Amino acid sequence: MPKRSNPPKGAAAVKLRLDPILDIKASAPLYALLSRHRGRDLVIDASAVERFGGQCLQVLLAARARWAADQRGFLVEGFSPGVIATLELMGIEPTAFDHRREMGA
Amino acid sequence: MDPMAAIRETFFQECEEQLCELESGLMRMEGGETDQETVNAVFRAVHSIKGGAGAFGLEDLVRFAHVFETALDRVRSGKLEASANAMRLLLRASDALADQVRCARDGATPDEAQTTSLAAALKALTNGDATEQSDPAEDDGLGDLTFLPLPVPVEDETLQTGGWVIKFRPFADLYANANEAALLLREVSMLGPVRVTVDRSALPDFAELDPEGAYLAWTIALHAECDEQAIRSAFEFVEDDCELVISRASDQSDRLNLPQPDAEVAGGGTAETIPTPDPVTAANVTANSGMPSDADVLAMIRKAQQSVSSSDREQPGAIAGGAQNPSPPAVRSRQDAAPGTDGAPSKNDTGSAVGATIRVDLDRVDRLIDLVGELVINEAMLTQRVMEAGLARASGVAAALDELEHLTREIQDSVMAIRAQPVRSVFQRMPRLVREVAAMTGKQVRLLTDGEGTEVDKTVIERIADPLTHMIRNAIDHGLESTDARLAAGKPEEGVVRLTALHRSGRIVIEVADDGAGINRERVKAKAIEKGLVAPEAQLSDEETDNLIFLPGFSTASEVSDISGRGVGMDVVRRSVQSLGGRISIASRPGAGSTFTLSLPLTLAVLDGMVVSVAGHTLIVPLSAIIETLQPQAANVHTLGTDVRVVAMRGRYIPLVDVGMALGYSEVPLEADKSVALLVEGEGGIRAVLIVDAIQGQRQVVIKSLEANYRAVPGIAAATVMGDGRVALILDVDAIVSVTRTELIRGDALRAEPTLLQAS
Repeated sequence: MPKRSNPPKGAAAVKLRLDPILDIKASAPLYALLSRHRGRDLVIDASAVERFGGQCLQVLLAARARWAADQRGFLVEGFSPGVIATLELMGIEPTAFDHRREMGA
Repeated sequence: MDPMAAIRETFFQECEEQLCELESGLMRMEGGETDQETVNAVFRAVHSIKGGAGAFGLEDLVRFAHVFETALDRVRSGKLEASANAMRLLLRASDALADQVRCARDGATPDEAQTTSLAAALKALTNGDATEQSDPAEDDGLGDLTFLPLPVPVEDETLQTGGWVIKFRPFADLYANANEAALLLREVSMLGPVRVTVDRSALPDFAELDPEGAYLAWTIALHAECDEQAIRSAFEFVEDDCELVISRASDQSDRLNLPQPDAEVAGGGTAETIPTPDPVTAANVTANSGMPSDADVLAMIRKAQQSVSSSDREQPGAIAGGAQNPSPPAVRSRQDAAPGTDGAPSKNDTGSAVGATIRVDLDRVDRLIDLVGELVINEAMLTQRVMEAGLARASGVAAALDELEHLTREIQDSVMAIRAQPVRSVFQRMPRLVREVAAMTGKQVRLLTDGEGTEVDKTVIERIADPLTHMIRNAIDHGLESTDARLAAGKPEEGVVRLTALHRSGRIVIEVADDGAGINRERVKAKAIEKGLVAPEAQLSDEETDNLIFLPGFSTASEVSDISGRGVGMDVVRRSVQSLGGRISIASRPGAGSTFTLSLPLTLAVLDGMVVSVAGHTLIVPLSAIIETLQPQAANVHTLGTDVRVVAMRGRYIPLVDVGMALGYSEVPLEADKSVALLVEGEGGIRAVLIVDAIQGQRQVVIKSLEANYRAVPGIAAATVMGDGRVALILDVDAIVSVTRTELIRGDALRAEPTLLQAS
């Protein structure tokens, strides 16, 4: 994984949209997607998510930690109540993904 | 199929069953059976659907089910009277719930307006009588009812809730083997309320993360009195792919009486507060609230995975009883509760005993049926070979063959029985249809059904639903008069539609009868003439006129309705019935109503037939149609006009059909006294004498669809493979018999011909 240099502060946050099915097959693509945006503020729209599995959870949690360490914003929004219930079954609060930073204008 | 989809599918199958239970329970209540058992069964049905829907995150469904359930709970606790008005609303709610379930299943969008208005009506009903609203969630608008789960504290607190503590650490192989930790957690949550904490200490830095690795581990505090085996069985398929430690939580509290609301939410249960149970019905009430529904959901999933038998409804009831008595565990995994070994001496309390059943993929049954069909053919071939080899009839081989035939036959019957199902599943959809159509047309209709238990092949059941639906729509929309007209005619204002199923000579007969005005023959004829379907000067008997409505192109769509006139005419109904090897006929009496009669084969797989030769071809005549065989005397055969022949039999004249000519095998009529005659009865009791060259014998044949393998051929119902490997055609007796009837029907057949040719 090549390290990227941080883009200039103030760059607009990247908006991503999660796929409906985040199962075992989705974790690698999700990882790749997030990796591509390392160093950028992310706003991730999770409203389409219907199914959420353990491996994608790992990816998101690890990403969230990395982004926080990079002092980048990481916001996952719009989980449906059903997915929130799934997350809770996995012991996760939906806000656990979020790392707020004052996002660039 | 991926496991989640499989479980989801099972959930929806179970939903269908619950919906049936719900509707029949509500109808019993409507009929005055408001005893606790019925009401409980109804409540439980809605509750189970809600519980399962919650587990699958179907929030709309959960929301509506909750409102519905709340209303039912009022009825159950006696706070709301099951008045006629209330029942009507509850029935409509059950219809709406069914819609929502189906929408959720098919990913369609439910009718928002209908749901909202019904939910509002239910709430009004509920609140109108409610004296105590213990649940704040019930008071905030429909928009955020219940399912929005309360946050579960994630802090690593000591789990002192009692029950079990499960430590679960998946290995990467678990995921690689297509298992899903979330699903396993969910499954555990179905044993009872859970509190889950996640251990992410092993999670590496993002850069080092293998997206397909396994880093998270979970600790689950399970709040249920189940045995360890029940928990282990949740992890049954992944035991080698994870680290699993199950231990008893040290606890003192009376857990079952103090469910923790947040934990319950996490358990896929509900946020509602359990109503204070009436002491008399404590067992039932508790059984239906909160936790045990999870056990119900678990049962669904268990069934999908293991096809296990057992599970009575009373088991959850046992929980309440067992709560006073901490050991032995009162709740057992459904999986353990094998019939016979289950200690609970309970019989089902809903009246519909759950026998030892398994759920099997239909494809597997079909495959088995196919194979048995091949076996039958092979057995026939073997018999033929043995006979050709010149072995004596009395030889041991022949005797053994007889036994083999016996056995084959028995296997076949047994396999067929697997597919046989009562028509109830179709009949049960009809009350709703009647309610809807009645509401749309503003007519008052009562549906009477009879013979729901009549069994018929599943394929037949699936395929009669549509024609039947259409016929019932028609019966209400066109058959029954408006209330005013009925009153004017001196009839009760409530119209009656009667739906009956029965077995008659190896077929299933379904009748849809109304007590309306009967067919307006003048109008039907005028319409047929207008559409050019009959010549204006045609002389039609009443029966022929009635049958005009089955002609393609005869549609009554210009009339009122978006109900029956959805572009589907009776010709489509007839065609779909015919494609099942069935017939439809109509009998109508002016002022007294019409009766549509469907006659269908019980199975589409085998047939008992008479093997006959016709002009060098081998044909099969379905035995069910044959009344007797005879050798006609030339003196008894009379010719009417130029080409119509009749046979005098016991004082009656019966039309004679030369099968060879009817099918175009021969140009020369067969002489009656050189042939064998079969007296057959077609649909509607119409008899005819078929003449053929000779009878070869009688045997069971495996039906091979001609349409599926070739194309439909008028006069031929299907084909089969004979013992010598040759293909023989199975005669469509009704079509052949109808050849004897009127120009009109012949014209109809001719009209059908070009279409078929084009289609080929």
